[in-house]
Amino acid sequence: MYRRFAISCFVALLTLPTAARTRPHYGGTLRVEIEGDPWQPPNGIARRLVFDGLTTLDTTGAVQSALASGWESDNANHRWQFRLRPGVYFHDGSPLTSTAVVQSLNLDCPANCPWATVHAVGSTVVFTGDSPMPNLPALLAGDEFLIALTATADGKTPSGNIGTGPFQVTSFNNGLLALGANETCWQGRPLADAIEIRVHPAVHDQWLDLSVGRADVVEVPVEMVRQAQQQRLTVLVSQPAFLLALEVTDSGALVNPMLRAAIAASIDRSALANVIFQKQGEATASLLPRSLTGFAFLFPVDRDLNKAHELRGGLNAPTLTLSVDGDGALRLAAQRIALNLKEAGFNAQEVDAGGAQRADLMLRTIPLEGGEAAAVLESVSRSVGAPAIPPDSSPTSLYRAERDFLDRHTLIPLVDLPRAYASGARVRDLALDAHGLPDLASASLEDAP
Amino acid sequence: MNRNPEVKVQLPAPNDIIRANEKSAETMKAMKLIRWAAMGLSVLLAVSSSAAATSPWEQPAAALAEQIAGILGPGQAHLSIRNVSRISSEDVPAIRKLLEQDLKMHGVTVSDDESANSIRVTLSENARARLWVAEVVEGSVTQVAMVQLSPDGEQRAQAVGGLTLRTERVLTSREPVLAALETANGLVVLETEQIVFETRGPDGWHEQSRVSIGQRRPLPRDPKGVLIPDGGAQFEAWLAGTQCRGSYDPAPSQGQWMVSCYASDDPWPLTQSDQTAVPVKAFFNGARNYFTGVITPSVGADPPPFYSTAWIPRASGGTALVVGGIDGKVLTIENGVLKPIAGTRDWGSDFAAIHSGCGTGTQIVASSSGEAAVDSLLAYEFPALEAIPVSAPLDVRGTVVALWPAPDGKTVLAATRGAENQYEVDRVSALCN
Repeated sequence: MYRRFAISCFVALLTLPTAARTRPHYGGTLRVEIEGDPWQPPNGIARRLVFDGLTTLDTTGAVQSALASGWESDNANHRWQFRLRPGVYFHDGSPLTSTAVVQSLNLDCPANCPWATVHAVGSTVVFTGDSPMPNLPALLAGDEFLIALTATADGKTPSGNIGTGPFQVTSFNNGLLALGANETCWQGRPLADAIEIRVHPAVHDQWLDLSVGRADVVEVPVEMVRQAQQQRLTVLVSQPAFLLALEVTDSGALVNPMLRAAIAASIDRSALANVIFQKQGEATASLLPRSLTGFAFLFPVDRDLNKAHELRGGLNAPTLTLSVDGDGALRLAAQRIALNLKEAGFNAQEVDAGGAQRADLMLRTIPLEGGEAAAVLESVSRSVGAPAIPPDSSPTSLYRAERDFLDRHTLIPLVDLPRAYASGARVRDLALDAHGLPDLASASLEDAP
Repeated sequence: MNRNPEVKVQLPAPNDIIRANEKSAETMKAMKLIRWAAMGLSVLLAVSSSAAATSPWEQPAAALAEQIAGILGPGQAHLSIRNVSRISSEDVPAIRKLLEQDLKMHGVTVSDDESANSIRVTLSENARARLWVAEVVEGSVTQVAMVQLSPDGEQRAQAVGGLTLRTERVLTSREPVLAALETANGLVVLETEQIVFETRGPDGWHEQSRVSIGQRRPLPRDPKGVLIPDGGAQFEAWLAGTQCRGSYDPAPSQGQWMVSCYASDDPWPLTQSDQTAVPVKAFFNGARNYFTGVITPSVGADPPPFYSTAWIPRASGGTALVVGGIDGKVLTIENGVLKPIAGTRDWGSDFAAIHSGCGTGTQIVASSSGEAAVDSLLAYEFPALEAIPVSAPLDVRGTVVALWPAPDGKTVLAATRGAENQYEVDRVSALCN
């Protein structure tokens, strides 16, 4: 009898009205914890919450309009005109004007810009270049060209970071950056009322806070993704978001391209990807990720020590200096590269990245932003001061431009790396954007009112 | 080279068949058999000919072979093929055969001789397209040829259940689609900042014109909108804080849509029940993505804030308003009484009534709760206060962002956002099993 009663209760429970999953709710505060500086370019987590670019990238990496509602080029891509979106305001209430955009861009890019001049014409921003700029709309979506207010209406420098983005800075005290929803954001008010970004807790402290409900979104370093998954954290891993590469000087002892080619052949990329980055990265010898081109296999990743010795041809290079632009896994990667080089007959000595003299070799990460291969190629190659711009976007032109650039051996691609974050149970609809950053403006909270 | 020779099958002429009437029954039977066999044969040949003609690999194989021949010139070469794409391994021999044939046409003979020049073909792909790469090795020199192919369209199976839901693509768009309405003068599409007018062509809808809505304030995230017909050649549109009215001027000098939009916080019309004489409207929270819960004229009970509503007929003869609350609970308002509905745990926030004529005549098509990787649609009936699924789930290409009934109520339209932020409007119809 009790059994029948229990079954009846169970059936009744099953038929009770239960809450379904709904559209996202507005409200609540998202709590984020990170190790680094939220404003650090490129892609500090607060930057795209507060600032917008003239263009943006959708989740597929395609260029979409942002502060510019449209654009045209003429004179064979030597001149571009971007029309500003009307009715957009900075967080201090001042309108977005073409003059403000030009001031911001000039501050962002004082030299080595993709353009030669930029100036305001009415409600448009006009770029001119000495050479064609076919990828300008995609390049302007990059982190370095986000638009910030540089002067208030009375000509003073604004205090703090003021942009047009979905959140505005409320306060930044004691390592806690507080952002409030921009009610009049041109993209629509964000779903959360506020975001609190707590800066500098160690990664394991972040994970602890996530597990006990004190944080909603935390960082997961690439090399710790498996560990986070083993701890049953909900981990979001992006597409390749940056390239680990070795920048090689083409002066001094390394003016000889054969020596630079020998360095490229001597590095064990698979060990870097599998051991240092715990199989979360993909060993690569190409600038562009496989998913972007489909021809990355034409640049073999295998280490070839015999070839390295052959290319070195018995030449004795003096001790090379090696700097690292980062720490943690990057420093371990640099140590392994130094060992690889030693096996090929080079001596590499690690030096401080901030030293007065530029190192012969610099291990660094370069953002891979966007879904348009030609634009990514230009952006990556521009980061080492030698932009490779294919004449058109056909795969063959792209391959030739990449091949020509890599044959100089001034930048040696090593590993494509994703970004990763973990989120708590309160957070819903959190996705990573084209830059591998969490799209916090479109995320909402399950327990929002 | 012609791979698709025209196939001609001689069929009996009509006069021959008429003359056959005068012959014996046996002869007629034999003639019929021959006729059917000939027709069957012709159909088979036509199908095989058509299949060959539409082989997706022919064109890229020809293009790649031409490039390879341009590098190598006439002679012998060793050909190897590697497939690192999602092309089925069963297709690779056919691709190899096509390449061999096309290379031969250009004077390159494929040989097994390892000492010959070498062609290494890799069937690769990137996130957007397929890419076939040929590495042509002549001694120590390697040159590369490439051909890019568009990926195939995805085929989808239809779901089968108590009734079967089917989708038919109406349009695709790069911009978010809030609603769409077919009128006698074309398709009206409501986007977040513009209203787009499309005319039907032989291969689907084509954009004719677009009109800016000119909102004074930005729409909230997760925006909603409604389009309803207002007579044969008019429509009304509602978005947060804005209302538009459109009319079509058929005069030859005009022949175009006239649209006027203005700021408005008036209540939005809810989908109509046949039995309700007075249109029922509800106030929308313009700063959020839901209705406030205030319905006018009153339906006898005040629901909580909600996302969606639908009218369903009841066995008693009346109608009930189904309300999807923002808390995820689904309620009905019937005879002025608010009651919860069970069995809606898997519902998303969007649903619409469909007058299919199957089963009880009307079902509710609801989006899934979004727990799965892709959304699906399911039809439900309400014999009492419990939603009973009456169809199998129908997978849709992406996330359902809006669902609304067509003006005739016999189908519903679903707007979905795909993985690549491509928006699509599909017509969902129900087939009785």
